[in-house]
Amino acid sequence: MTQMTMVKALNSGLNNAMERDDSIILLGEDVGTDGGVFRVTDGLLAKYGKERVMDTPLAELGIVGFGIGMSMAGLKAIPEIQFQDFIYTAMDQIINQMAKLRYRTNGDYTLPMVLRTPYGGGVHGGPYHSQSGEAYFTHTQGLTVVTPSNPYDAKGLLLSSIELNDPVIFLEPKRLYYAGRMEVPDDYYKIDLRKASVIKEGDALTIITYGPAVPLVKSTVEKNNVNAEIIDLRTLSPFDLDTIMASVKKTGKVLIVHESPKMFGVGAELSATISERAIDYLAAPILRVTGLDIPIPFALEDYYVPNEKRIMAAIEKLLKY
Amino acid sequence: MIEETDISKEGLLTAYKNIVMERLFDKKMLNASRQGFLPFYIPLMGHEAIHIGLGMAIRDEDFFYPYYRDFGVLLQMGIPIDTILSQVFATATDNEIGRDMPDHFSLKKYNIGAVITPVAGHLTSATGIAYAKKYRKQNGSVITTFGDGATSTPDFHVAMNFAGVYNLPMVFFVENNQFAISVPTYPTKDKAFSNTYEETRGAIYKKADAYGFSGIRIDGTNFIEVYRATRKALESAENQPILIEAMSYRMGPHSTADDPNKYRTTTVIEGGDKDPLVVSQKLLKDMKILTDKDISSINDEMEETTSQLIDKYEKAPKPDKSTMMGNLYEEEPWYISEERSDIQ
Ligand SMILES: Cc1ncc(C[n+]2csc(CCOP(=O)(O)OP(=O)(O)O)c2C)c(N)n1
Ligand SMILES: [Mg+2]
Repeated sequence: MTQMTMVKALNSGLNNAMERDDSIILLGEDVGTDGGVFRVTDGLLAKYGKERVMDTPLAELGIVGFGIGMSMAGLKAIPEIQFQDFIYTAMDQIINQMAKLRYRTNGDYTLPMVLRTPYGGGVHGGPYHSQSGEAYFTHTQGLTVVTPSNPYDAKGLLLSSIELNDPVIFLEPKRLYYAGRMEVPDDYYKIDLRKASVIKEGDALTIITYGPAVPLVKSTVEKNNVNAEIIDLRTLSPFDLDTIMASVKKTGKVLIVHESPKMFGVGAELSATISERAIDYLAAPILRVTGLDIPIPFALEDYYVPNEKRIMAAIEKLLKY
Repeated sequence: MIEETDISKEGLLTAYKNIVMERLFDKKMLNASRQGFLPFYIPLMGHEAIHIGLGMAIRDEDFFYPYYRDFGVLLQMGIPIDTILSQVFATATDNEIGRDMPDHFSLKKYNIGAVITPVAGHLTSATGIAYAKKYRKQNGSVITTFGDGATSTPDFHVAMNFAGVYNLPMVFFVENNQFAISVPTYPTKDKAFSNTYEETRGAIYKKADAYGFSGIRIDGTNFIEVYRATRKALESAENQPILIEAMSYRMGPHSTADDPNKYRTTTVIEGGDKDPLVVSQKLLKDMKILTDKDISSINDEMEETTSQLIDKYEKAPKPDKSTMMGNLYEEEPWYISEERSDIQ
């Protein structure tokens, strides 16, 4: 066990995986000599060489497409996109090649690869270093979309993603990269990708959240002594229906919190699924506290993302209902 | 006079038979689409010499990542005809169980990639496959084919750049049939195009220079030239990537959804002296390998073979609807299991 930040935990996970499996190749802009702009791949070039930790030309489409080819040929590519905001020139590769390859070939080709990228706010990066684009990926059939909320989960989920025989979009909340340390095993361990985590039990309402919003939800609930059950989804798609349903049936009230915009977002799918299956258990409307439905602004970012005030207002509304 | 050649007489005759076979299949598949047996079809006429030359050149140790207009390459590579036709006709025995359009083959066990519809969408994948070959120190090269229109995409330029930077065993092979649907590849004086634009103004084969390796232009109507140039490229690519631009002409429509009379006067016609079938006959007759009598007997033989096969596949059963939800993920998610009951 070592006290690690999320960045350190991810780095430790990559190192553990690369040590035992020489088919793993990291690639991306500045991941080599520089160790990645957030330092997630720090020190790995020196240890594994440039055949396995590859600085690439500045072309996201190439980073993803090249990684897909490697994984089609029996390697296991772990491409990094420097900021999720810059992934869009690779969206054709992600949606049309990566996500569909197993299905359209009926498993002739499978694609074990993990596409890592930092997302969300927290660094005052304005419209192009702060986006939360998870819904683009969750609406694409064939992708597994994972997002950790703490250093321990980050490493365990990353290692499980690397072992999966399917493509994973691994979204790293950049606001949590250096947000705190916790005890993380130095050795290899995994976390079930198909299971959400109940991080706090409670009876009065269920709060479903994930990734960058989790610490905020947790501190808000603790500070205000709310009798809430908090579910950290960990994997957004395919999400863990059973854990959600068990909690909703117990509490009868649901709040969904995420940093990405509300319209057509992950919360909408969760809300619809819950209503379809558990309307008789619900004692109040399902509420959402999310990022605003505008691009994320530079100077006023703090008003854009969910905060304690907005979350408490929704909780109080639900409790009073 | 028999020319000095690196291919046996039998080899040349087999290649010729496959050219004839591709031509006849093409006609019959177009016909099948008109009669409703194929909802969509991608014509091949004009590409036969390229396809057969490629099929001759590709070695067991090479990896081939085709695009959607490469039917004949697979014929010449010796892929079982049942495998090929079950894909084209999307039958129950297709290894993709009819999930993708005709000619979108995926044949991993033959070192063939999964054809993808978005133009050039496979070029960066092919380049990554070449990297895996190099990393694992395997023999052979990766060859990927695509149209002239594909050279306008970002994928082409990115894949070429990656191949150059990592010095990969890659052969980029352009099947230049002069058109991307209706848009001509190069500026042309043809009146029909006086009112439009072209794909590019720079010679495609020269674009390799920008990425630090060489490009060549070859005659794509001469299957022996295609074979020789491609085989040499597959060998030299183990030291440096290479781009080949093979010049031919799309003699038919782009697809069954297209009418070329709207946008061009077809200048290379069937039976004309630039038709790859005619060029092949002349080549082999000059080499004293083929006589007029052979031409007609081969045609009869192939006519019979192709008719029987097309007949069989037109009537072959389609995949059962219960197969359509499988293989999205290795472990099926709960909603996929639920949606199985929505198939009615
Ligand atoms: C990215 C993309 N854009 C548009 C299309 C529609 N489309 C299919 S083929 C084609 C023309 C391709 O021309 P070329 O690359 O020269 O190949 P050819 O069909 O002539 O063999 C177009 C525009 C597509 N499939 N993919
Ligand atoms: Mg073309």
